[in-house]
Order: sequence, then C-alpha cells, then structure tokens
Amino acid sequence: MSAIQNGILRKLLLGGGGKSRLWAALVALCVGASLLLVSVAIWSDFNELLYGKDRNDAIGSTYMVVGKRVTEQNMGTAGATVFTDAEIADVRKAPQVQDVGLITANNFPVYAVMGGHLAFETDMAVESVPDHFLDQMPEDWKWDSNSHDLPLILSSQFLDIYNYVFAPSQHLPQLSERSVKSLAIQLKAGPAGNSETYLAHVVGFSDRIGSVLVPQSFIDYGNRKYAQRLTGMGPSQLILKTKDPSDVQFGKYLQQHDYNTNSQNLRWSKIRSIVEVVTTATGVLAVLLLGIGALVFILFIELTIARAHASLVLLREIGYSARYLSRFMNRRFVPLVAGTLLVASLITMTGQLFAANALKTQGLVLASLPGMAVWGALVVCLVMLLVLVTMAIRKAISNG
Amino acid sequence: MSLKIENVIPIPLRDKVRLYRSDVWNCKVEFALGEYVFVQAPSGTGKTTLVHLLYGLRKDYEGAIFWYNRPLAGDKDDQIAALRTSKISVIFQDMRLFPALTAWENLEAKRLLTGTVSEQQVMEWMQRLGLQDKRNALAATMSYGEQQRLAIIRALLQPFDWLLMDEPFSHLDHANTDKARALIAEVVQQNKAGMLLADLDENRYFDYHKTLML
Repeated sequence: MSAIQNGILRKLLLGGGGKSRLWAALVALCVGASLLLVSVAIWSDFNELLYGKDRNDAIGSTYMVVGKRVTEQNMGTAGATVFTDAEIADVRKAPQVQDVGLITANNFPVYAVMGGHLAFETDMAVESVPDHFLDQMPEDWKWDSNSHDLPLILSSQFLDIYNYVFAPSQHLPQLSERSVKSLAIQLKAGPAGNSETYLAHVVGFSDRIGSVLVPQSFIDYGNRKYAQRLTGMGPSQLILKTKDPSDVQFGKYLQQHDYNTNSQNLRWSKIRSIVEVVTTATGVLAVLLLGIGALVFILFIELTIARAHASLVLLREIGYSARYLSRFMNRRFVPLVAGTLLVASLITMTGQLFAANALKTQGLVLASLPGMAVWGALVVCLVMLLVLVTMAIRKAISNG
Repeated sequence: MSLKIENVIPIPLRDKVRLYRSDVWNCKVEFALGEYVFVQAPSGTGKTTLVHLLYGLRKDYEGAIFWYNRPLAGDKDDQIAALRTSKISVIFQDMRLFPALTAWENLEAKRLLTGTVSEQQVMEWMQRLGLQDKRNALAATMSYGEQQRLAIIRALLQPFDWLLMDEPFSHLDHANTDKARALIAEVVQQNKAGMLLADLDENRYFDYHKTLML
C-alpha cells in the first residue's frame, strides 16, 4: 500500500473517530492493562515474600522447633527423644508443614574458654540447622575441616539474658551485639586425647532458634571424628516451616504425636489472609477494568468504522475487499494496542522497581524487574486484545 | 460465455415484470466476450437494478447470474472484489464519488488499488475530458457533469473484460459526450473488452452488437 493510498484510506476511514475519543479509549485500555499487570506483579511479589525460597521466608511462614516431650516414662531411656527417619517423613506430610529441617546437636564434648576481662570456662552444647532455616545468613557462615576459625550464631535471647539479668546481678558490663562479635573464644572439641581447639567468633544472632549454632559441616565433621558413642546420633529436635501453625489439624497432629513446641508460635498472623484477599480482589477488579478498557477501545473502533460507513461501502463497490480494508484498519489499531500494553508494562516495571527499592530499606528482597507471571499475563493480555480487536474490525467491516 | 443471465427477476419488480415481455428479465441471455450490448430501458423497468445485479451490489433476485460460468450469488467477498478490480468495471448513474476527496484523490483511490494505469495516462485523460483544472477540487464541489466525467475516468483505471454503464452521459452536453464516448471506446478496445450500456432511449454512442429491451 503506497503512502498516498494510505493517506486516502486514512482520510476516508479514520477521520470520524475523533482524537479525544481515541485518547480516552487508549487511556481506558492502558489503565485496565496497567492495573492487571500491577495486580499480577503484586500477587507474584507477595507470593515471593510470603512463600518464596529467598530470604523473605520469615514474613510468610512461621518457624517452630519441635521435640518429643520428655516424660517420666522415657526420661531414663537413651535416644527416646530422637526422631526416626519414618517419623521425620511423617512430619513432612503433616498439615501446613512446608519444610522440615533437622537440628543436629554435638555428640562430643565441647568446652569453651575465654580469657581477658570477661574470663570464663564452661562445658557447652552446639547445634546446627540447614542454612536455609536461618533467619539471617552471615557472610562468613562457612567452615571446612582445614579451618580453625569457627563461626557461631547465638540466640538473641542469650544476649538478652546476659545484658538484662546476668550482667547487672554480677556487676559485669553489658555488651552490644557488635562487641560480642569482636570477642574470641577458645573452643575445644572432642574428648581428651582426641580434641582440637578452634578459635570461635560470634558472627550473628538468631531470633528463630534458641541455641548456639555452628555450621552444619562442623557438626557433621565433629560427630564423625569425636563422637564417643553411636546412640543419640539422630536429631532430637526438628525445625518446621509452617504456612499456618494455628491450623486445628496441625495442632491435633502435634498433640497426637506428643510433640512439644513453643505454644507462642501457634499464633497466626492475620496479615497473610488479608494479603491474599486483597490481591485476589485487586486481580478481579483489574480483570473487570481491563474488560471495560477493552470494551471501550473496541467500541471506539466500531464507532470509527460506523462513521465511515458510506466511504466503506463505496470503497468496496470500487473493488476494495473486506480483507484489504481490515488489514488497513489492523495496521492502524494493532500498533496502538501493542503500544498501550508497552506503556502498561513500563508502568508495571517502574512500580516494581519502586517497590523493590522501598522494601530494601526494610530488609526485604524483591526482584527489581517483574517476574515471569507478569510477562505471562502481558502475553496473554496482548494475544487476547489482538484477537478481540482484529475480530471486531473484521466483523464491523464485513457488516459495513 | 463470460456472462450468462438465467431467468433473473428482481424481487421488488417481480409483479411488474411478469406483466410485459422483456428481453432480459425472466429470460436466458448469454453474452460473449467483446460484445457491445445496449439495454434500452424505459423508466421504471429496472435499468439501474440490472447494472447493480450484474455488478454484485444486490442479491435480491430470483434466477441466476453467471460470470465466467460461476454463479455470482455464490462468490465470496474476495472473489467479488477480484471481479471488480480485474474483470468488470462500472460507471454508476449516480457517480458514487467520495465527496470529501479531491478529484485526483478519487481517481488515485482506484488507480493505486489496481496499479495498471500510469499517473501520466490519468492526467492525459483528465485533459481530454476537460478536468485538468479540477485536479484539486473536492468532488462535492464539482458540477454533475464534471462528476460524471470523473466517474468515467475512474471506471477506466483498471483492467476489465466488461464495462457496465448506467446512463453514463446523462449529465453531459453533446461535446463532452463525444469526448467521453471516444475515450471509453478507445479504452474498451485496448482491453479487448465488451460493454453493456443501459439507457432510457435508443442511441448510437457505440456500435452495438446486440440491443435488448428491458
């Protein structure tokens, strides 16, 4: 089609739509598409924050440490509170449980010594959990058998007890987290004759696990090298990642198996259900608005064609086919649809970037670009709109 | 046979045409390629209707019309469009120009669709029919005579086997009729085409091979 012919057809067929109406239709379409993409992005981001594998787990899931209750009947039996493989597999299938981590304790003597102003010597126990169950991952959280530096993560509660209870009663100085991290502790592992001394440093504090944690590789190494007996080698505590610990079925499960946990953890933050309702409602609203936007745009196309009815009839009388004229109209409107969706995706990308930056200050990690769900929604949206627009054009011209 | 009409009766004229003897309505008529046909049609006998039926603008008729042995009623939109750009051309009685386009744009809308006639040729034809000064005039502002001459040129801007004409010179004086007639005869001959002219009264515009009473 030459430029002159294009100009003539434009004058005959597109003159009746009106620029302000076109802009209104485009804005309606853009608002609908933007809302849809943004709501998909919100849904995807909340999913990532609540249930994702990233460092945002604490928001959407509740972690709890469970163990077998120590009773008068089992208190004398070695290994009675150890979880078997079958029991662990069963816990994995329990209601609301998303993930299960084994808490492995040392099965060898550990003796800590610190000199200087805060001198102390003590027997102690250490534990480890798989890294993805930690609420924070310090940069130097690693250990291998060639290393004599041992990182520790201390329960925040321990520091609180020291600062608010122990230190004032003993006239000892209180310690900040940073000052605790600067302390060097001699940690002797293994029984006499088969022991090694490590230089331990506190590298972080955990709100999630009330224990002294060492890397899993150290516990595995120590339990192989220094263990004095094989009994009690299994985990006696498990850390569970649960979606909704307040679920009745989950509570029943714990009760039936006589597992104990911190009952405070059995509360449920209502925010998750609220978020789910809000994202669903936003999605429904967005689909409705996109529907209205698409309808307005298609009505604009139909109005444009209806206004050009006389020209359309005459063009067909002098030999222009409906297919030819539809192609011309498609060439006009398809780029507008694509351009509008491009603007909508740019708005969504800007929103995502803004949200990622805003949440970063609160320690939450969000991708700075929208995820696959948004791009998928964009493609579906584009295909649907193109099908609707081309069908509307073809129908309006054929009936013209 | 390139055009065949079999027992065609326009539905709105059904009662009327059965009351008299017509050479076209409710008859079997065949036209060979290259034939010049004059259809003499007293007022109200369906002259314009015939041209519209043959051109595929109306479907409200009984019987069948065959172009190249294919029933016109069965043609799809694309086939009718192909027929109108390469086989049949038409000069409407009511001209049917785009009023919002200039004379030149009206011609270009057709010429650029088929791409078979040069711009130079169009300008020459405009000059022959005295429209050279009307190139940029809006069709709506042109006189009926000018519009009719423009419609004649537009009909010639494509290859065709048949030229259908519905009172093509009704708004022209003798001088302009002669010029337009000569141009049409020349282009029809170039295309080795036939023509079907429908008019009220007997005429000698062309050397007709066949004259039919509608």
